[in-house]
Amino acid sequence: MKRFECLQAIAPLITDELFVCTAGGATAEWNAVRPSDGNIQVKTLGLCSSIGLGLAIALPRRKVFVFDGDGALWMNLGSLATIGLHQPKNLIHICWDNHQYESSGGEPTAATADNLDFAGVARSAGIKSSRTAITIEELEESVSHALSHDGPHFICARIEAGRAEAPPLRYDELENKYRFIRYIEETEGISILRIAMPASYLLR
Amino acid sequence: MGTTAGAQQIIGALKAAGVNLVSSVPDINMLQLINLLYEDKEITHVPVGREEEGIGVCTGAHLAGKQTAMLMQNGGLLNSCNGLTTTALQFGIPILLLVYYAGDIGDNAFHMVGLVTEPVLQGLGIKHIVMRDPAKVKQDIAGAVTLANSSKRPVALLLTRAVL
Repeated sequence: MKRFECLQAIAPLITDELFVCTAGGATAEWNAVRPSDGNIQVKTLGLCSSIGLGLAIALPRRKVFVFDGDGALWMNLGSLATIGLHQPKNLIHICWDNHQYESSGGEPTAATADNLDFAGVARSAGIKSSRTAITIEELEESVSHALSHDGPHFICARIEAGRAEAPPLRYDELENKYRFIRYIEETEGISILRIAMPASYLLR
Repeated sequence: MGTTAGAQQIIGALKAAGVNLVSSVPDINMLQLINLLYEDKEITHVPVGREEEGIGVCTGAHLAGKQTAMLMQNGGLLNSCNGLTTTALQFGIPILLLVYYAGDIGDNAFHMVGLVTEPVLQGLGIKHIVMRDPAKVKQDIAGAVTLANSSKRPVALLLTRAVL
């Protein structure tokens, strides 16, 4: 299955969930399918699962999706153990597994050898709801299940290599951050960004 | 090990500065501090397996409004350099880095890590203080959190045994 078709299939299931997206092709495609200030694009390969965990712990009543890649997850495989330790009920971690570092030129990853069962690793690390999806129907069913049950959830989506035509994000990481935080403020009804006042202002 | 009094003072100073989420990887010199974090009801404690994960956890929590700190040894600071650079610094994320200063003057191990710690922080553009005076703990932690928030960058406090 192609990643873009997968994204189109799961988009109708999504409302205001937050998305932490890996530094890879999934991000531009997801922004094309579901443009939202609730999407943030990570710049450090491998760190999206950890950022998603922090977000899920800080907002325990909000569903948080992580869009990971097989190369990125290999780089931070330990994050599965950390998620297994903390058991965030609201975390839905999807690994788009195309067996290669697509954004880095298509070199093979550990997944290429087919010895690495990401869902098996996740399950052994304590993420009980761990699945592998190889058809779009399985993926839809897995995401529906994750949205309606307590997690943490892990889904390894086995996809073909290749990118769809999708424009890059229209703004840089700083604007992405501020938009993302404002989106959380608006949808959660909370105040997050605070501007420090100079001491001279406080003295008046 | 650290002392209970030292650990209590640091926890009190963190709370006074508004810190409400701490991620950690242990070091024996911060044992008391980490034990207190496990028991504390006001601070969310998120142990991680590798320090760079903690930079990610603090970043995600910051996006949702938490005031965060990462507790680790300086070897772990070296482990987290890419996350600090391409996530914390690039996105402008304030994180208090509480770093045990192994290999400091008087330490009989980890001299190599001690040697590179301050130059690495300087190279990353992360401002830091070496904490040697227990009387200044509250002031240093408050000041570091204020600067982290106003500069939207990580700020590091290098903890020596004198303050633990």
